[in-house]
Formats: sequence, C-alpha cells, structure tokens
Amino acid sequence: MTTRTAVAGRGYPREGASGEPNLLEIENLMVRFELPAETVRAVSGVSLSVAPSETFALVGESGSGKSVSMLSVMGLLPSPPAVVSGSIRLEGREVLGMPGRLLRRFRGRDVAMVFQEPMSSLNPVHRVGRQIGESLRIHRGVARSEARRQAIHLLDRVGIPSASIRVDDYPHEFSGGMRQRAMIAMALACDPKLLIADEPTTALDVTVQAQIVDLVRELQAEYRLAVVWITHDLGVVAEIADRVAVMYAGRILETGQASDLYRATRHPYTSGLLRSIPRLDRSVTTRLAEIPGAPVRVVSELAACPFDDRCPLAADGCQDALPELEAVGPEGHSSACIHHHEMGSASSLWPEGTAAGRQDSEEQPGDVVVSIRDLRVHFPIIRGMRESRKRAIRAVDGVSLDVVRGKTLGIVGESGCGKTTLGRAMVALVRPTGGTIEINGEPINHRSGRHRKVVQMIFQDPFSAMNPGMRVSDVIAEPLRIHRLADAGTARERVSELLTQVGLPPDSGGRYPHEFSGGQRQRIAVARALAADPEVVVCDEPVSSLDVSVQAQVINLLADLQARTGMAMVFIAHDLAVVRHVSHEVGVMYLGEIVEKAPRDQLYEDPLHPYTKALLEAVPVPEPDYDASQRTRLVGDVPSPADPPAGCRFHTRCPVAVEGLCSTVKPALEEVTPGRWVSCHLVSPPAG
Amino acid sequence: MAQYGVVVVVAVTLNFLLPRLMPGNPLALIAGVDVGMLTPDQRAEIVARVGLDAPLWQQYLRYWGDIFTGDFGFSFRSSRPIVDMIWERLPWTLLITGLSLLVSAVVGVLLGAISAWRRGTKGDLGMLSGMISIESLPSFWLGMVLVSLFAVQWGLLPSFGAVTPASDLEGWAHVWDIISHAILPVTALSIVGTPGVYMTMRYSMLETLGEDYIRTARAKGAGERRVLFGHVARNTIAPVITVLAIRLGFAFGGTVIIETVFSYPGLGRLVFEAVAGRDYPVMQAAFLVFTAAILVANLAADLLYPLIDPRSRTS
Repeated sequence: MTTRTAVAGRGYPREGASGEPNLLEIENLMVRFELPAETVRAVSGVSLSVAPSETFALVGESGSGKSVSMLSVMGLLPSPPAVVSGSIRLEGREVLGMPGRLLRRFRGRDVAMVFQEPMSSLNPVHRVGRQIGESLRIHRGVARSEARRQAIHLLDRVGIPSASIRVDDYPHEFSGGMRQRAMIAMALACDPKLLIADEPTTALDVTVQAQIVDLVRELQAEYRLAVVWITHDLGVVAEIADRVAVMYAGRILETGQASDLYRATRHPYTSGLLRSIPRLDRSVTTRLAEIPGAPVRVVSELAACPFDDRCPLAADGCQDALPELEAVGPEGHSSACIHHHEMGSASSLWPEGTAAGRQDSEEQPGDVVVSIRDLRVHFPIIRGMRESRKRAIRAVDGVSLDVVRGKTLGIVGESGCGKTTLGRAMVALVRPTGGTIEINGEPINHRSGRHRKVVQMIFQDPFSAMNPGMRVSDVIAEPLRIHRLADAGTARERVSELLTQVGLPPDSGGRYPHEFSGGQRQRIAVARALAADPEVVVCDEPVSSLDVSVQAQVINLLADLQARTGMAMVFIAHDLAVVRHVSHEVGVMYLGEIVEKAPRDQLYEDPLHPYTKALLEAVPVPEPDYDASQRTRLVGDVPSPADPPAGCRFHTRCPVAVEGLCSTVKPALEEVTPGRWVSCHLVSPPAG
Repeated sequence: MAQYGVVVVVAVTLNFLLPRLMPGNPLALIAGVDVGMLTPDQRAEIVARVGLDAPLWQQYLRYWGDIFTGDFGFSFRSSRPIVDMIWERLPWTLLITGLSLLVSAVVGVLLGAISAWRRGTKGDLGMLSGMISIESLPSFWLGMVLVSLFAVQWGLLPSFGAVTPASDLEGWAHVWDIISHAILPVTALSIVGTPGVYMTMRYSMLETLGEDYIRTARAKGAGERRVLFGHVARNTIAPVITVLAIRLGFAFGGTVIIETVFSYPGLGRLVFEAVAGRDYPVMQAAFLVFTAAILVANLAADLLYPLIDPRSRTS
C-alpha cells in the first residue's frame, strides 16, 4: 500500500505535513461480536490512513462500524465478545495484538479520544481537574500539584472561564458544553499526535456544537494534531474535514478529499445522505429526498453490495460480488459501487418529489385549534420536604401562541429553553402555574377522559416511550379502547389500516416494539398518535434520535398525514433546518419565552431577533470551503431558568446588547409587521 | 432530616395508641393483670398508678416524657424495669450481629468485586450459584447443623448461651469463654448475611464497569489497578455502603431465630420470650429500640452518601 500524501488543511498552513509517513494505517480491519444469539459483523474489511495534522472524517449511520473501527485502534473494545483482525499501525508499529501493558503507553499519550456523552464519560465522583491531570500522572509521572497546575492551564486553553476555580468543580457542576471542553482538555493533556473524536457534538446544542467545532479547529492548528472525527452528520464535518470516508454496514463505500466527495459524489449512498439533510439554503416546496428502508445489521459474511436493497441504481450484478473500493477521481477518491459511472446528479438519483396536497403557507388562515395565553409553568425547587417559594425553575414563563387547523407550528430553541415543557402542557402532562390553554375554545382539563383524544403526542425516543411488554397492535389500539372508538373487531381492522398509513406491513401488529428499528418504532408512535383521530399532534423532537437517512422518511410521513387528515401539528425541535422543512409558522424560544414568532419564510430569510440570527448561523452547512469566518458565534451557555437574567433574558449572550438598556429593561413581544412578533429593543417597533 | 422527625413521631404515637385501641381493657395490656380478678378498689389503684385516669392527651404527653427519661415501664413477667433488661441484652446482640456484619461485609464485598471483575467466567458463575444456594438456606436449619456438628458431635464449642453459667472465669479465660460462645452464632449469621452483600456488590460493580467513564479512564492509558481503585471502587461502594448501613440498623434488633437456636441472651431472644409470654410492655419497648436504630442507621447512610458521591451534595 502506497503512502498517501497528506494535504495541508485549508486555511491553516501545516509545515512539514506533506511527505511525512502516515500516523495511522488501518488495513483490512475486521471486527465481529460473537454474541450468544448471533455473530454481528460490525466491521468487514476497512482500510484507511491518516496523515499527521490531517482531519479525517468517518461518516456513517448507527451500526455502520465507524465507532467500532476507532475503538479497535484504541484497543477499547470489550473482548470477548469482540474479535478483531487485520492490521492497525500507529507510526508504523502494529498495535493489534499488542499486550495491554504496551498498548496503554499509546493510549492517552499518542492517541487520545473524546466521546459523545460528556456527562457519562466523566467520572462523577472526581474533580474535573484531577481527571484532566490523570493522563499526566500516568504518562509523565508528574506530581499532583503539577498535574493540577497544568489542568488549570488546559482548562483555560479550551475556554473555561476562571479555570483556576473551576478546576476543583465536579463534572455535574459543569454545563454540557463545558464538559465537552473538559473532555478535550483531558485528551490534549499529554500532547497527543492523534485525536479521535467520537460524535463529540451530537449530544450538544447547535450553538454549542459550533463552538466545539471552532475549538477543535483552533487546537488542531496549535497542537499540530491529526483528528479523526466520527459523525453521522455530513453537515458538521464539511467545514473541517480534509478527507472523508463514508461507512455503511462495516464497509467504506466512498472516500476521498472532502471537496471531491461533497461535490463530485460517486456513490449513491453518499449522495442520498447529502440529499436527505434538510438545508437552510434550499427552498421548501417539496418533500425531502429519502433513502428507503433502514441501515442493515450484518450477521453473515458480506457477499454482495450491502446497500443494494436501498439503492436506486441497484441492477444486475450488484448481488454478484462484494464491490471493492476503486479509484474514481483524483487524490484517492474512490467508490465501492460498480455502477458509479452511471451516477447522474444527486437530484435525479434521489428525487424530492412533490407531496400530494401539501399546502403553501401563504393561504388564508384557518381556524384556531389551540389557543395559549400567557402560559406559565414553574417547577418548584424542592429542598428536603419544603418547596422553596421564592425560587422555581421557570420552564415556561408567559407564552402566548395559536395553533391553526391544518398547519404546523414549529418551536425551536436550545435545550433548557422550555420547549418540551410547553409541548407537555398542551397535552396536559404538566399542570400550568398560570395562564390558559384552550382547545377548540374549551380550557384543557387535567383529568383523564375522552376530551384528551383531541390532542396527542409523539415523543423523542421511540425506544423508551413504548411499553416493551405490549404488542404493537395493543400499543396502537390503546387510544381506541380508552376513547371507545372501536370495538374488538373493528379495532383490529383499524390497527392494520393505521399500520398501512404509516408505511408498515399491516400484519406487523403481532410483533413487539423491540423487533423494529428506530425509524419503524417512530412510525408506530405516529400510528398510535393518529389512532385517536386527534385534531392536534404535538411532536417533541420526533426525529432527533433517528438516523439521518430515516429522519427524512418520518418528516415526509408527518407532512403527508397532515395533508391527508388536516390535523394541526406542533413540531418541537432544536434543529432549525428540520423545523423549517415542516412548519408554516415558527416560534423561537429562549429561557421560557418566545423571542420571535413569524411565518416560516420570513423568519428564515430575514431573522430579526439576534438570538434567531445566531441560531441560524450555527447550523452547519454541508459544503466544504464554506466561509464560516463571517459568522457571529454565541458565547457561553443558556443561563439557569431558575434565575433568568434581568432585562432582556438574552442580553448576557447577545452580540449587540446595549449596556444599560438591554440589561435593565425587559423588551415586550411586539408585532412588527402583521403576523410577525419580536421581543428586542433593537428591532424597530411598527411605525405609528 | 425532617422526614426522620415525622417517622419518630408516627412510631411513638402508634406505640402509644396500640394498647389503647386493642379490644378489651387497656388495663390488661398496660398493667398486665387479670382485670376480672381485681376488686374495684384494686382496679382504681392500678388505674391511678399507671395514669389511665388522666385525659388521653395528658397520657400522651407523659408517654413522651417517659421515653425521654428512658422509662419504658416494667415487664409483666419479671417485674423488672424494661430499660435494664434491654441494656443487659443489647451488648450481646451487638457483639454477634456486629461481628457477623463485619464478616459478611468484608467477604461479600471482596467476593462480589472478584466476581464482577471476572464477569462471565466460570469462577464468577460458580460463585454466583454458590451464593444463591447459601441464600436459600433457612437460618434455623444452618444453626441446628452447626450446633449438632461443632457442639454435639465434636464437642469443640459450647452449644448455648453467651458465657458458661456460674463459672466465674476471669481475665483471658473469660474473654475466650465469650468468644467460644459467639463463634457458632456469628458463623451462622455471617453465612446467611454474605450473599446479600455479595449480590449488591457484584451488581453495583458490573454497573460501574459498564459506565462510559471507565472507558474514558482506559482511553487515558490507565492500568487495571488504576481503573479498579481510582475509578471503579468509589462509584461501586456508594450503594453497598447504604445497604450495609441499613443492615447495621437491623442488627440492633438482633436475630430472633439465630439467638433462639443458640439460646443466646440477645435482644432477639428477649423479643422471642416476650412474644411467648405475652409481655406487651417489653415488646413495645423493643419495637421502639428497633425503630430508633433503623432510623439512626438510615440517617448515617444519608449523611455518608454525599461524602462518596458529590452529586448528592446540596449546594
């Protein structure tokens, strides 16, 4: 295997990067998990290399083998059940089969890793500083005091304010973004040559994600780090990756320079992934392009293209042999598709199609189904047995909204902004502290009963939102029984009908939830919500736990069902691009309040509130060479809703806040143009 | 903290009300005499002596006063002050329950840790099935087997009591006498108590070993010793400490079965005797002591937990 020439990263000259030997070389890596029931082939023949100070993105859906490949580099896979073969060389030394004692010298010193969930990846009982200093104590044998001193320096370097005080905090005292910064500080402690980042921003808000991406980019230039960035999101890595490999079913399907892979895609799967990302820079008149089916789970040795059953190019020959990567373009661009030369443009391969009866947002306003006025939901802070009367978590603090029949209201905001609580209040799962919610003019009632049928909810995690001991048919039929909408005979018919409507086989009702994939389970949740024939469906982050290729399916399904039934929807999400795709009107929430509310196109084309602007700018664009330098980044995290800042709640993070005004006077939510509400001192109020 | 106060008040109030709510004359329960055999004068005299002529709220207040001054009344059977009886029995109970708790804790924690560290191996599964078998042994049967083997068959150890009666031993001979009497009950209690600790420890450690931060520690290059003592130990031990503290609370109550099998003069045996002789005041006093001990142990666990797990510290 010839050594690939590393290319200096864009924008950051990397002296001496070219011509150096590869830092990491993986050849024909195979990983299988020998479980009692079956053998899962997580990685089936992966070869790749990473040059010094290069950023290499490993992209794939869940189960594609991307994390498993990199965990085997670290020797961190549990064995048994994992069986690893092939070759992994770090600076020319074979690490596979290396005794643990020697392998441990590499870990943390030459190769460091950052994980997805910063909270669970930090030991809860040790101080942050001690955990950062630990690698130094292990590899350099420095004294406790020296390790602490360096931990302060590192925390300061990754942007933790007052690092010399925060060094003695415990992980639970840090916010999500700070925890991930601490993890990065920990990884950098021994000045490693390679940093493996396993979905480091997936659990974070989009604004914090942008901060972390910037931080890693900066540190990479400073420490001359090579980075392997594992992600499911082609958008996140477009700005930073030098080279990309797309994995599926334990194989690399396409790899190459980022610019070639994004612009001259040579594998139908890559193009499908790129097409199914809802984007802010495209119009929303059509359905999202979707990849049918769900990612496969490989249990027997691959003998054919694993993507065959989901591929629009599938033809004779695809099932005959396992396609190997072959060169399709310059600088190592290669694809494992025998039909790669037949690939047309992405839009012809993955058509978006038009949704039947999808209505435009410019139509006459329909009648209001849900009317929320000055809604407040405060959660008392409980200390011992007493509630503190003064302090409370103000999750929702004075929200007024209308949900219109046949339309979708999108609610966006960072975690902790109160959007989930607002949704739960609408289905009477939490009791409001003040204000009113009326459905069809009737105030909602917190007692159980038939009146509940008009409003149904779809939850974020279809795995935990469904009783695992109930058959799917019972899960779906439960609302029918509760609301006495069908007797036993017709219930069965209705369940098959609902299953067909959500795109599942009508006879799948006899199975249990765990037999379905995530996307299928979310379809079941949709069927359950529809069973009661509701007038409003509240969707709380319905696609954020799903694979990228499956997200588009569920979004399209919801849009189709709305067109068919005329139900109103409330779509709660942190992802502005997704919200844009499904909503007619969008409300932006910050610390329990609506800061901007407008018809979709107005909001996205001309955001007025600085917070809306910042949120939009933080959305990653799946374009390499996108100039991110003009962006304003939000600094810091959302303040505690127990103690919101005085004046405008956003002023502490606002790039344009006016001292003395924004910090003292609370702006009112005012209608600046018809249908468009903003609460900001700097947005001019309506003339006259 | 406030919860503990509520539990104490409820327990004491219940204890006060029970004899007064039970069918029949409360005099029979409180004074322990056959009411039908008394003349009216005698009856009035007893009523006045135990204070049953006062209004209920006065009786209630006096009950609280009695508890604070350590006056639990007198035993029906021996007519001795109950406080003295409890003080007499408590050290013996604490000796055998305390020692056996220590043994079960050390053995259970060690074996549980080894088992979890070698999860899925033959050693782990063997140990697990062994512990499940021991758990299913009835303690009275175990006690009787120990007595028949070590005391009757081989004559190595005494079969009953806490000291040899009327032996007037002194110094080391006296200490050895106490130890030799305690060995069998402590052994029986330790065997019965170990599986619970083992299971808690094994489960807790398996849980910890599966945590992401253990993977982080390994990713830093930490060796097995550092992973085990630096990262696993403290996270694992927190739930185990809670279980042990609660067991310590129950230890004050002694164990009715083992103390009866070995005729050991602890609180458990006192309760057994009181039940057999319908000695209600003794039962009530014992009930209060048990409640108090369990509450104190729970409180200790609550206070100890934040020292181990910083997340449970309130700001």
